[in-house]
Amino acid sequence: MIKIKHLSVAFDGPEVVKDVSFEIGDGEILGVVGESGSGKSVTALTLMGLVAETARVTSGEIYYDDQLLLEAGVPRNTALYREYQGQKMSMVFQEPMTSLNPTMKVGAQVEEVLILHDRQGSSYETKKEAKTPEAKNGLAGWHQRRMEEKERRRARVLDALRGVGLRDVERVYDCYPHQLSGGMRQRVMIAMAVILHPGLIIADEPTTALDVTVQNQIIDLLKKINQEQKNSLLFITHDLNLARRLCDRILVMQDGCIVEEGITEEIFSDPRGDYTKKLISAVPGRTGKKKSAHQKLKEAQGKKGDGKKQELKPLVEVRDLSVSYRENANSLFGKTIKKTVVQNATFDLYEGEILGLVGESGCGKTTLSKAILGLNKMVEGSIVHHSNSPQMVFQDPYSSLNPSKTIGWLLQEPLRAQGILDPSKAMTEKDRVAAAYDMLHKVGLKDKYFTRRPSQLSGGQRQRISIGQALITRPGLVIADEPVSALDVTIQAQILDLIRSLQEELKTAFLFISHDINVIYQVSDRIMVMKDGKILEIGDTEEIFRNPKDPYTKELLR
Amino acid sequence: MKYLVKKFVTLIMTLFLVSVLAFLAFQIIPGDVVTSILGTEATPEREEQLRQELGLDKPPVVRYFRWAGSVLKGDFGDSYRYSKNMNQMMPVAELIGDKLPVTLLLAALSMIFIAVIAIPLGVLWARSKNKVFDVMMNMGTQTAMAVPSFFLGVLVTYLFGILLKWFAPGGYISYKEDFWGCISYLVFPAISVAIPKIAMTARFLRNSMLTESGSDYVRTAYSKGASERRVAYFHVLRNAMMPVVTFLGMIIAEIVAGSIVVEQVFSLPGIGKLLISSISTRDFPVVEILILYITFVVIVVYFLVDVLYRVIDPRISNK
Repeated sequence: MIKIKHLSVAFDGPEVVKDVSFEIGDGEILGVVGESGSGKSVTALTLMGLVAETARVTSGEIYYDDQLLLEAGVPRNTALYREYQGQKMSMVFQEPMTSLNPTMKVGAQVEEVLILHDRQGSSYETKKEAKTPEAKNGLAGWHQRRMEEKERRRARVLDALRGVGLRDVERVYDCYPHQLSGGMRQRVMIAMAVILHPGLIIADEPTTALDVTVQNQIIDLLKKINQEQKNSLLFITHDLNLARRLCDRILVMQDGCIVEEGITEEIFSDPRGDYTKKLISAVPGRTGKKKSAHQKLKEAQGKKGDGKKQELKPLVEVRDLSVSYRENANSLFGKTIKKTVVQNATFDLYEGEILGLVGESGCGKTTLSKAILGLNKMVEGSIVHHSNSPQMVFQDPYSSLNPSKTIGWLLQEPLRAQGILDPSKAMTEKDRVAAAYDMLHKVGLKDKYFTRRPSQLSGGQRQRISIGQALITRPGLVIADEPVSALDVTIQAQILDLIRSLQEELKTAFLFISHDINVIYQVSDRIMVMKDGKILEIGDTEEIFRNPKDPYTKELLR
Repeated sequence: MKYLVKKFVTLIMTLFLVSVLAFLAFQIIPGDVVTSILGTEATPEREEQLRQELGLDKPPVVRYFRWAGSVLKGDFGDSYRYSKNMNQMMPVAELIGDKLPVTLLLAALSMIFIAVIAIPLGVLWARSKNKVFDVMMNMGTQTAMAVPSFFLGVLVTYLFGILLKWFAPGGYISYKEDFWGCISYLVFPAISVAIPKIAMTARFLRNSMLTESGSDYVRTAYSKGASERRVAYFHVLRNAMMPVVTFLGMIIAEIVAGSIVVEQVFSLPGIGKLLISSISTRDFPVVEILILYITFVVIVVYFLVDVLYRVIDPRISNK
C-alpha cells in the first residue's frame, strides 16, 4: 500500500536517511527498530509530510496506493498532503504530555480532525439542503444546521474516545490535557489518529514515555485497532521486545540505512547483520546474562573470604519511614493537606551491594531516595547512615551537568565541595586534577575530554561523567535515579557494565532506581518493588524473578 | 473567590507599605517645603506660622497617621503649591481628577494602537518566510525601539503637525471643551508612545510564536492536516500570547502611570507632568497621592494580567 523507493533525506549536513526503500502492505504491522539518530523518525516524518522545512529530500519517491506523494527535487505538495494527513494517514507521537495543545479541550482537538476533513463534504451538503424549501429560513436555519452538525461531530468524537478504551467520555471531552494522565492522553492521541479510519497509522515510540503497565495497554489497543479497522501500522521503536510483541515484519535501521529486514520471528531467531546481533544482545533480557551478573557477586564475596551476605554490615538502615509533602492550598489562610508519598518503608542497604528499586512513575521511588539523602523535611521513622557523603546520579544527562564548565572542572567540583565542608579532606589543586584524570579513565574516557564541555559529549559520555562525579569522593553509597532511562539500548548496556565494574572495583553500595524491571535485573543484587508509596516486596534478584509473590510484581514481569 | 480576597489583601498591604515609604522618603530627601514656598528671604516667624498651618510642626508618625486617616476618609488634602482661588489651596483630589482623564485617554489610545497593530504584525512576521520582509522588520523594530521617546515626539510633531498640518502642535484642547477635538489631538502623542511599544510587542510575539512553533502539539496539528494559517492562528497564537500578555501588562502599567516625556513634548496637562512639577516643588500631598495612584494602577493591571492568564491557560487555575 505504501511504497518508499530509494528515499534519502538530508538536513544542512550529510544525509540522515540514506537510500531507504520499503513497502507496507495492507493491514500489516511493520516495525522500524533503531537507536536514536538512526533516521527512523525522520523517515516516518517524511512519509507523513511533517519533516522540518530545513530537510531536503535528495533522492527517491513515496507512493500511497500508487498516488505519488513525494518526489525528490519537487517541493512538497502541501495541499495534497493536507488531504492525506489525518484522513488517509495519521500519526501518534512519543510525548503524550506535550503533543496535545495545552490550551484546548481534548474533545475539541479530536473534533478538529473532523472539521478539517469534513469541510468539503459538509459545505456541499448545506448547498444541497439550501435548495429544499424547509431549510430556507435564512440565518435561523443556517444556525440550526450548524448546531446539528456540531452535535453529530460531538457524538462521533465521543464514540472515538470510547473506542480507545476511555471511560467517562463526556467528562474527558471537556478536559484539558493537563487534567489527564499520560496513558489517557496517549489514548486521546490514538482516538485522534483513528477517528477517520485512515489506511495508515504511524506510531512513533508511542509508549516510551509511559509506565510499563500502561505501555502494555497501549500496545494491546494498537493491536486491537489494527485487527478491527484493518489499517496498516508503521510502528517505530527502540525497544526490540515491544517490536517483537506487536509487529509482523521488522526493519532494523542504523545510521540512516536499513541494515536488516524480515519477518519478526526470523530476525530474532536468526539475526544476520552484526548490528542486529549487537542490538538484540544489548537488550536487557531476563535470560542469558542472568548467571553472569549473579555469579560475579558471589565471586566478589568469595574473594572477600567471609562469604555470605548476611554477614555484611548494613550501610543504611531504614525503619518505618514515611515521607509526606504539604500540599499547600495556595493561600495564606488555606488548609494544608498532608500527602503521604512513602509509607512505612523498612529495609536495609548493605555495604557494597546494588539494591534495585523498581516501580512506576509516581510510586515514591525518587521521594524515598531523596529522604535517604536528607533532602526531605517531612519525614517520620528513622534512617541510620553508616556511610559518609552519599552521592547521586540523575536521569537526564543533558541537563544535569553545568553547560558552561569543562569536564575537568565538573569532575573536581565534588572534591572542592568536600574540601570546604571538611578542611581535613581538602586537596591541593594538583591532587584534584590528578584524581579527576584518574576518574576520567575509570569511566572509560580519554584525556582529551578533560578540557571539553558537556555540549561536546554524547548522552552516554555525559552519563559517564555524572557517574564519575558521584564516585570521585569515594562515597560509601551512590543513589542512581534512572541513570540509563534516557539512553539508547547499546549505550545503556555499556553504562550498566560500567556501573557493575566500578562497583566491584570500588565496593560502593548503589541504590539503583529504575522503572525498567529488565535493567534492574541486570544490575542488581537485590530488588525492592514499590507501588503507591509502599514497598511490596524485597529480596534477592533471582528469588524475586523466579518466584514473585505480589501480583503487581507478576504484572511487571509479564 | 478566595483568590480575589487574597489579591485584595495583597493590594491593601502593598498600598500601606508604599504609603509609608513614600511618606518616609520626603522626610529624608533634602529641601524644605516652607523655604520652597516662601523663598529664602522670609522671616523665621512667618516660616514658623506656615509650618503650623501645614501641620509640619508635628512629629512624622503623627503626621503620617493623620494623613493616612484622612486619605481613608476620601480627603486627599490640599496641594501646597496650586491654589484654587485667592484664599484657598487646590484640593489634591480635584487637581488629580483634572489631569487623570488626559493620561487615561492617552493610555487607552496608545493601547488600542499597540493591540491593533502589534499583534497582527507579530503574527505576520512570525509566519513570513520572506527574507526581505524579515530584514526590514528587524531593522524597523530595532530603530523604533532605539529612538528616544522625546525625539520620536518631535518627529511626530514635525511630520503630522508641521508638514502635514493634521494637528496644531501645542494646541491641546481640553476634553471638557471638545471631547473629539481632544481625542484627535491625543492621537499624535499616542502614536509617539505606541511606536516603540509596538516594535517591542511585535518582536516579542514573533519570538514567542517561533518558539511555540517548535512544540510537539504544533506537529500534531499539522499531522491532522491543518493548514499553516490555521495552525498559526488557532493553535500557536493562544499559547504564544502568554508571555506577551505579561509584557503588555507591564506596558499598560507604565503608560497609565503617565508618559512623562511625551506629555512634556506635546504639552499635555497629564499625570506625568504633574508628578514632575510636584516633586520639584516638594508638593508632598500631591506626590504622595500620585505614588499611591501609580502603585494602585500597577497592582490592578497585574491582577488583570493574572486573570487573563487564567483565561488563556487552563493549567494555571488548577494549581
